[in-house]
Amino acid sequence: MPVSRARPRESVRNPQTSAGSAGPRTARPARERRGATGSPPFGKLRAPRAESRGARATGPGCGAEPHVIKDFDIVIVGSGAGGGTVAQALGPLVRDGVRVVVLEWGTRLKEEEYTGREVEMATRLYFDAGGFLTRDRTMTLAFGRAYGGSTVVYTGTSLTIPEATVARWGVGGLTYDDLARRSRKYLEENHVHLLDQADINDNNRLFHDACRALGYRVEQFPINVRGCQGSGLCNLGCPNAAKMGTHRVQLPEAERQGVTVVTNCRVDRVDLDGRTLHVEVRDPGFGQPSSWTPGRYRVRAKAVVLAAGAVNSPALLLRSGLGSRLPALGRYFTCHPALILVGQHARPITNYHGHPKSYYCDHFAQSHGFLLETCMYFPFVTAKNLAGFGEAHQRLMSHMDRLQMILVLAIDPARADNRVTIDRDGQPVVDYTLAAETKRALVDSMRASARIFFAAGAERVHAPAGVKFLIEAAERDRIDELIPYEGLRPGKASISSAHLMGGCRMGGGPADSVADAWGEVHGVPWLFVADGSLFPRCAEINPYVTIMALADRVAERVRERIGTLRAG
Amino acid sequence: MLYTAFLTGGRRTLFLAFAARVAPAMRALDAGAEARALALVEDLLADRPARTRRELALFLWLVRWVPALLLLRPFDRLPPARQDAVIGWLQDAPLATLRSGLWGLKTLAFLAYYGSPETGEAIGYRPSKTGNTFLHAR
Repeated sequence: MPVSRARPRESVRNPQTSAGSAGPRTARPARERRGATGSPPFGKLRAPRAESRGARATGPGCGAEPHVIKDFDIVIVGSGAGGGTVAQALGPLVRDGVRVVVLEWGTRLKEEEYTGREVEMATRLYFDAGGFLTRDRTMTLAFGRAYGGSTVVYTGTSLTIPEATVARWGVGGLTYDDLARRSRKYLEENHVHLLDQADINDNNRLFHDACRALGYRVEQFPINVRGCQGSGLCNLGCPNAAKMGTHRVQLPEAERQGVTVVTNCRVDRVDLDGRTLHVEVRDPGFGQPSSWTPGRYRVRAKAVVLAAGAVNSPALLLRSGLGSRLPALGRYFTCHPALILVGQHARPITNYHGHPKSYYCDHFAQSHGFLLETCMYFPFVTAKNLAGFGEAHQRLMSHMDRLQMILVLAIDPARADNRVTIDRDGQPVVDYTLAAETKRALVDSMRASARIFFAAGAERVHAPAGVKFLIEAAERDRIDELIPYEGLRPGKASISSAHLMGGCRMGGGPADSVADAWGEVHGVPWLFVADGSLFPRCAEINPYVTIMALADRVAERVRERIGTLRAG
Repeated sequence: MLYTAFLTGGRRTLFLAFAARVAPAMRALDAGAEARALALVEDLLADRPARTRRELALFLWLVRWVPALLLLRPFDRLPPARQDAVIGWLQDAPLATLRSGLWGLKTLAFLAYYGSPETGEAIGYRPSKTGNTFLHAR
């Protein structure tokens, strides 16, 4: 039966303001701020404004420029694990005349554009090519920007949050049973399963066997692939369309139900008085064209769901003037600070063929505060993650096919001072300082990983906190001495993160949280958050399934409220 | 504002001297490969805020001239062993700002060499869309 689609209303406004108003942006020369991909970045965001003026649409830049007005009932910002889930869950409302739109900053790549080329794909699919720097430049954050958000570039590892973690979160009204039930739904929908042993490469198998030999608990990752051909390029976007992210499952289904998805669309801010989003569509020069023509838009809504991720959702709310009302906004940012560690074998092992992430070791999670996972990265990422340079570095890099890799994730505490803010131009800035216990966990993780590498037969191991670039197998009895706690020096060791959480944490009230247990922003009954920024503390596991479960709750709340919100 | 190339003149000379110590294989690149390598860096910088480029320019200036205070010659005119000593000192410098600045510069050097698709073959990295075929053939 054909779906009766709700049609958004549209009108064009070209305010004839006083002479000298900004007007349409002058086209820039092709070379101007144009990257390798030919992608011109969006212009400056609006500077943060005083709370008293924050809701007015009369400021410089946006207010005086021509824009098209669009009317929808529900606007979802972001299309990753959170936004994609909400879009699908609310899709059935379209049959009842509810107009739903998803605004996604990134692009919908054509299938042939998934080339697997490292720099090209990183530039196209990640913010800052995966190297978004924290303010003090001692850590990089990787988060996706695409139709499907970060689900396009993760490895598809699909774990349900542990009961103990939900208990530690301590959010009233949020239970493990509820999250587990919703998680199961998405595990099934995303075709999550264990890979066949024949598809597990040496890099993974060696980790598993070494953990077993050392008595460390090790488990196989369930992953969400369908027809995986083992390209090993998951983090650059699967070139075989095998990974079941929201770009393959939830968003296409939402579109079938009549939800509009607008790509290449950046949201500047939400006008709180007018329930209007100020957005801009640009053509990045690659990918499928956006469904809206490039230009500025005002999108009026009855309900807004922010799912722009743990950096951009808080930043958007701050630009919208909510900072003074919600003192916790942007705070309690956590990110599972990560290290990529390598061990070198005497002979080639299979590492870049096959799925890169099959096992994890949570043996040390409670006792030492870290998780170990298998991983396999690409030449540039691997090179920059080694703490060294010159001939020794080059010798290690010269045989990528001999490298075994482990990804460390530290379980970091939620601290108010670790936070997202915005600069004068409205751009997000992340302040993050490693806690003493996190530094200790990272060094402990290097020691444990070194033992695993050597137990797996590696000849030498690189530890970023090591007193020398490589530790030889003959020195394996001196690991603790050769990897001292004081050896971890922020700025020298390459610390990165791809699990961004917090900033709009759930909680009981506005004093120490931003949203309630259903994602509703305190004091703004039509504004919701549905992404990893809701986490009150870190997830202690790979977070995407939990984000989907939380987003499912948010969608349920929006569904309950939409009748009232539309009437209001 | 029009973006102007960053790695020109003295900056280009210095960056190449630095990159040759950090990623020694850079020295073996022919002119075409070197140009493509530098283009990777240039394109990345073009997408970064002007403030980041200003900070990088300042750090490059420091790398070039601070050694002259002790060694009486700028970085790019030092013998290789001295250049390595300067890089090594910056990598373990007491100030985190210097360490992270060095890390950033190193990252650009690695981008120049390892970011190129041509490098993969030389370092034993040959991924395939159908990697399982190779895996099952082992």
